[in-house]
Formats: sequence, structure tokens, C-alpha cells
Amino acid sequence: MTPAALTVAALSLDLGPTRLVDGIGFSVAPGEVMALVGESGCGKSVTAQAIMRLLPDAIRQTGGQVRLGEEDLTALPERAMQAIRGRRLSMIFQEPQAALDPLDTIGAQIAEALRQPLSRVRAEVRRMLEDVGISDPERRIDQHPFELSGGMCQRVMIATALIARPAVLIADEPTTALDVTIQAQILDLLRRLAIERRTAVVLITHDMGVVADIADRVCVMYAGRIAEAGPVAEIFAAPMHPYTALLLASIPRLSDVPKSPLAVIAGQVPAPGEYGPGCRFANRCPRAEPRCATTTPPLLAAGQGREIACFAPLADRRAP
Amino acid sequence: MSHTLEITDLKVHFPGRHGAPVRAVDGVSLHVAAGETLGLVGESGCGKTTVANATVGLQAPTAGSVRVQGTELAGASRSVLRDVRARAQMVFQNPVTSLNPRMTIGAAVGEPLLVRGRAAGRALRDQVAALLEEVGLRAEHAGRYPHQFSGGQRQRIVIARALALRPALLVCDEPVSALDVSVRAQILNLLVDLQARHAMSTLFVSHDLAVVRHVCDRVAVMYLGRIAEIAPRDAIFAAPRHPYTRALLAAVPEPDPAVQRAKPRLPLAGEIPSPANPPAGCRFHTRCPIVVDQCRHEVPPLRRVGDSDVACHLA
Ligand SMILES: Nc1ncnc2c1ncn2[C@@H]1O[C@H](COP(=O)(O)OP(=O)(O)OP(=O)(O)O)[C@@H](O)[C@H]1O
Ligand SMILES: Nc1ncnc2c1ncn2[C@@H]1O[C@H](COP(=O)(O)OP(=O)(O)OP(=O)(O)O)[C@@H](O)[C@H]1O
Ligand code: SF4
Ligand SMILES: [Mg+2]
Ligand SMILES: [Mg+2]
Repeated sequence: MTPAALTVAALSLDLGPTRLVDGIGFSVAPGEVMALVGESGCGKSVTAQAIMRLLPDAIRQTGGQVRLGEEDLTALPERAMQAIRGRRLSMIFQEPQAALDPLDTIGAQIAEALRQPLSRVRAEVRRMLEDVGISDPERRIDQHPFELSGGMCQRVMIATALIARPAVLIADEPTTALDVTIQAQILDLLRRLAIERRTAVVLITHDMGVVADIADRVCVMYAGRIAEAGPVAEIFAAPMHPYTALLLASIPRLSDVPKSPLAVIAGQVPAPGEYGPGCRFANRCPRAEPRCATTTPPLLAAGQGREIACFAPLADRRAP
Repeated sequence: MSHTLEITDLKVHFPGRHGAPVRAVDGVSLHVAAGETLGLVGESGCGKTTVANATVGLQAPTAGSVRVQGTELAGASRSVLRDVRARAQMVFQNPVTSLNPRMTIGAAVGEPLLVRGRAAGRALRDQVAALLEEVGLRAEHAGRYPHQFSGGQRQRIVIARALALRPALLVCDEPVSALDVSVRAQILNLLVDLQARHAMSTLFVSHDLAVVRHVCDRVAVMYLGRIAEIAPRDAIFAAPRHPYTRALLAAVPEPDPAVQRAKPRLPLAGEIPSPANPPAGCRFHTRCPIVVDQCRHEVPPLRRVGDSDVACHLA
């Protein structure tokens, strides 16, 4: 097995007395696309910020480790981290316009990721723009972000993130703000770059369609914990966690019977202050047993590279 | 008998920042028959919300006609508009901003009835209780305030309020887009239920094709202020005729890896042009994979092909 490009182990993040993210762990191999999927507020973005060591002041990492290859980032001084960000470990965001400097040309911003003036690396920047599918790169290179559409800005951000050939790319909802036809272009681009450059990609999304499209593996998060993780094909074909199963059954599909009732998950996602001591899905779960409300189910290996945190999984495939 | 909604050659232009007007809606014709749900789909900025707003009298047409149960909204007097608004009710995308935070939900749901003198006192309370129960809330909730409810529950409250006057037409603008994935199904099931129970006509605006397919009888696809294709649901999903409809369908990521990865890709080149400066001829020609010279000069009229009305020279 190839050693992981990125490993997150037992990561816990607290906001004051409230635990937002509770001991999550996963790893991503070079060239692999790993999706982190979950509903609004489940902790996807703060996890990404913790990996980048860019957490807001209010949120503290209270446990766990982030390793880039063999190197533990958790203990590094901020100066060393600055040398890593954008070069070995990059991130792209949902709103590209907000992440780009409106006053600087896009060429200069991409060159900045190489810590070089544009004049020195112009040919390289132009090739990168071509690589992310921007037509007429020679003209675009000297334009400002406001002269570009949302889809083009997202490509520029991907170019900025990838020009230094990082080992790991964190993409936080990179297509959520885009139209479907543009989303399809960007997803194809990410997939191709992951394969060609052997970049390990952590793709954050709440869209199961996006996961099905480009991810190799998926971590399904619910309320700050991982409910289920494993290869995409297996999890979609036979979800074991009741939350994953219900979520997949609740999405309208192009293949279902129109107007037929969709599976419903009763109630709503609890807020971080409302988490109980047991499984955080217990109050909405049709399979819940008494112990689910009082004891946290551990995330256990279930064979075929799968992991599941549930006392009453749909098909119990845990290794004996 | 006339259709519940009949829109003919509707144009809505906004003053542009750089002189040229923004032609948000530029010659749209469609109808919604009694008891029917029409889906209106298309990408951001194509004019869906502007059509929806014109349908309930929130946006005056620049030209063309909007008729609700035969009553013309274009150029109508205030009193006519007020009357039409009772028959055509809107459900907006964001349930948080659609409700007054200082009003109990009972007062919010009952307000249309009270303001129009349809009910008061005991009768009003009973009707509000029935409406809350109809959307899956409890009558005892009437005294609570919006912040005491989740996003999905608030959208139920908004729907109950829209139903209060028993409108002939419900206009839903992205009613589930702002909701958590796990509560969307609750609201979609409710809408399908209500359609069946009341035989209401619905104009259902969404950018999500799978959602539209699930709740609609017919579907209209918009591109840059115009209709590209209108067809019965099964026809448009099984045999899309317009190259834009085909590209849109191919771009929907389906939550099934086997299906999704086997699907042929139909990538569209480039970006959507600005409605302040739309391309001549067919508005889709700058991105169309099968464009011919005629497309650059001649506007393709909507014409019948199979079960679809399609605006494409090559369909
Ligand atoms: N700067 C912050 N200060 C305080 N709380 C925060 C901050 N950022 C996030 N949170 C809280 O942390 C929790 C996790 O938020 P996060 O942004 O990681 O969710 P997410 O899974 O990315 O959701 P979304 O899909 O909406 O982007 C939420 O309860 C959120 O309110
Ligand atoms: N009040 C206004 N003044 C000027 N331009 C407007 C106004 N309202 C809408 N527009 C423009 O009209 C076009 C159509 O907008 P509309 O909101 O109807 O699109 P939409 O299809 O609903 O998009 P979305 O999917 O993003 O909601 C857009 O280019 C928009 O910027
Ligand atoms: S009319 Fe021409 S440009 Fe327009 S959709 Fe048809 S083939 Fe494409
Ligand atoms: Mg987020
Ligand atoms: Mg809109």
C-alpha cells in the first residue's frame, strides 16, 4: 500500500466548552480523491481549517494529529507552516471571488504561490492556466478577478493552489456556488489533475451526486463525527449506517418514480450545544436501541476498507 | 376554460448599469393548466425568479401578458392586483427571511385571512389550527415564534400561510434549496401531498433537475431569458430535444457511482453570456455543441417536435 499523503488522527476541535469535532480520523493516498460529506454545520470546514492550521481564534484543537506524509504538522512552528501552505498543502474555497485579491492580476496571484515575481515564471503560469482550461491564457494572465466569471475565478484558484505541485489539495465546496454545467467542468478538471499529478484531494461537499461522480472514498460525517467511511462504490451500493442509508434514500433521483414518497429522516440535525452522550443520530434513528442514547458507538473496521460507527448497522459485516 | 396561468410573450427588462438594459426575461410564453405542476429550470441568472415574481404581481412586465385564471396582471389596477394575489401565492427560497420574527406563527399563518376579512376570532383560530396540521405541525405551535422552529419547520409555516387563502396557483421559488439535505424530502413529500389533495396548480422554480422531475408534470427549460424547451416530464427526461436540455441533464451528478460514471459527458464550452448583451440569433449558439451558421443570425422559434416545444433550428 502506498503511504498516505495526508493523515488525520483523532482530531478534536472545541468551541469553548462545546466539542464541534469529536475525534475524527482519515487518510488520503497520493492520487486519491477522498470526499468529506455531511450536512451544514457537521464540521467539514473547521476540519479543513484545522488541517491547514487556519482555525478561527475561537476554535481550539484539543486533540489529535495531522500528518503530511510522515511529518506531524500539529507541532510545527507557524513559520514552518507558512512554508508548507500553498506549496505542499493547498486549499481552495467555495467563493473564489472572496479568496482572490481584487487589486492584483490573476497572473501575479498565481506566481505568488511560487514565491516568485510573475516576470520570472510567466511561461509556467500560462501553462498552468491552460491546464485548468482557461482559454486565451496570454490575455487572461494580466486581467483582474472582476473581469472573470465565477467559473473562471474558480479555475484561477485551482491554478493558484496547484502550481507549486502540492502533495495535498483541500477543496471546500469548490463547486457549490457554480451552475451544474460549470460544476461538471470543474469536477472533471479536479479528477484529471489528481490522476496526472498524483495529488491527494480532500473534497468537501454536501452533495452525494458530487461524491458519486469523482470520489474514490468517502467519509460520511454527522454532527462532528464520522458515521461511516469507505470506498464510494461499496457505500453507495450497501450503506451500513442508518444515516447514510436514509440520506441516500431521501434524495430524488432521475431514476425514481416521480411523486412517490421519498424516505424521510424525522426531526433535524442537532446543534453542537445539544449533542447528547450517545450516538448523535440516536434521536432521529429508526434503528436506535436503548444504549444508542447513552453510549457512543466507536468507529470500527467492517471489512473491505470500510468503517462504521453504529450499534445496529444495516448489514453487520464487521470482521469476526 | 382558461388555464390557471397563461403567460404570453412576457418581457421584463431592468435598467442596466452600463446603458444597455438587462433583458432578464425576453419573450417567454408558457401556461400552467388547472391542477398541473410546471417546473421552471435553468442556470443562475436565466430569469426564473423574474418570471415567478411577474406571475404573482411582484414584478410589472415590460411587455407581454400574464393572466391568472383569465385576469390580466399587466397594467392592472391596485385592486385587481390585490385580488389576484389572493389567488396566486408565493413560497420563497429562504424561510428565515420570509417570516416576521416578531409575529407568532399562528398570527403569520392567519394574517392573510384576517387582512382580507375572510375569518376572525374563533373561526380564524380554527382555520389556523387546521392549516398548521395540514402541513404537519401541531395546532399548539400557533403561539410560538419563528426562531423556535427549524428551517424545515419554518418552510412548512410559510407553506401553510401561502395555502391560507386556498389559492388557485402556488408559485414556489427554490422552496428546498436553503434546507438541509435531510429535511428536503419532508418538504417535497408535503408539496406532492398538497398537490394531490387540492388539485392546485403550481409553478415550481428550481435549478435542481432531479427535484423538478420528482414533483412536476411538465417542465420548461429557460436559457438567458428565453424558453429553450417545454415538454411533459417523461418526454423531456427520456428524449430531451434541445442541445441545452441535453447538456443540463448530462451535467446533473447522480448519487449513484455506477450510473454517474457510465454517463456520457456532454461538456459545454464557455460561460453563460450576460443578459445585458445576449448573443444574436439563438442565445445558446456561443456554447452549443452542434451550432450551424443559421444559429448565429436567426432566432429559432418554439416549434413542436414530438411531444416537445423546442427552440432550436436543428431539433
Ligand atoms: N468562526 C467560528 N466561530 C464559532 N463557531 C464556528 C465558527 N466556524 C464554525 N463554527 C461552528 O462549528 C460548527 C461546524 O461548522 P463548519 O463550518 O465546519 O460546518 P460545515 O460542515 O462546513 O457546514 P457547511 O456545509 O454549512 O459549510 C458549526 O456549528 C458552526 O456554527
Ligand atoms: N431588480 C433587478 N435589477 C437589475 N437586474 C436584475 C434585477 N433582478 C434580476 N436582475 C437580473 O436579471 C437576470 C435574471 O435574474 P433572476 O433572478 O430572474 O434569475 P434566476 O434564474 O432566478 O437565477 P438564480 O438561479 O440565481 O436565482 C439576472 O441577470 C439578474 O442579475
Ligand atoms: S439553434 Fe443552433 S445554436 Fe441554438 S441550440 Fe439549436 S443548434 Fe444550437
Ligand atoms: Mg463549510
Ligand atoms: Mg432565482
